[in-house]
Amino acid sequence: MSENQNSSNCRISRNVLIKAPGLLPMLYTPREIAEDLDVPETTLRDWLNHGAPHSRDESNHIWIDGRQFAAWVDSQRNARKKPTHPLQAGEGFCMRCNTIVKIQNGEIRPVKGRLSHLKGKCPICGGIVNRGIWNAGSAELSQG
Amino acid sequence: MLDRQNYLKVKLFLKFSRDVHGRSSLQISTDFEHLKALLLWAGSQPISSAPAFNTSLPDFLFQKVEKGLIQSELKSILNTNQRFLLWAKAMFPVEFQNIRLSWIMKIPAISE
Repeated sequence: MSENQNSSNCRISRNVLIKAPGLLPMLYTPREIAEDLDVPETTLRDWLNHGAPHSRDESNHIWIDGRQFAAWVDSQRNARKKPTHPLQAGEGFCMRCNTIVKIQNGEIRPVKGRLSHLKGKCPICGGIVNRGIWNAGSAELSQG
Repeated sequence: MLDRQNYLKVKLFLKFSRDVHGRSSLQISTDFEHLKALLLWAGSQPISSAPAFNTSLPDFLFQKVEKGLIQSELKSILNTNQRFLLWAKAMFPVEFQNIRLSWIMKIPAISE
């Protein structure tokens, strides 16, 4: 019988992220898996309450499949990663609006070598938006 | 699924190594990594019936050598497994009576 009470994300330490793939394809007790991952048993039980895969036998003892648990740890790591959005040509990050915007009235000034400085205005708040760009081309200015 | 009794014996051996032989945490950690090969090799069968397994331990490890395991590491894995089996035979003489001492002593020599 599998249990998933709460599927919110957990903070997993780097040590656990490294050690979890080494878990064996067998059933562990919470104490054993806590020892192998070098975390307090209370922390592990907290993870179980937050959706870590486990099962209970007829005596209500908790069993954790090592491989399933390792996969869960990996999924937690991926779940905590923020989605990235690489800046496109003509885009910049407005520090006032705290968001990515299309730069208006952009001006490119060479800094050094292939590095250039794009300076323009935010279409939302009208503030100045700066961005460093490599190999500045006409695509950067076409948006402004 | 691996045999839990094998895992518990390995854990007992590591505790024995730490408490009696005074091996450091790093050594214990390395020994455990080496003994994982033995646990994976045994699978769901008890280690005490090791000589009857279809694949021999060196063959199993040689498959890992092809996947990038270094030869010197293979030697130390076999040495650790030999130490474990010698300990297990001494601690559980009835259960490990099918494993002959000569078979255990041959284990590290196979890699050469």
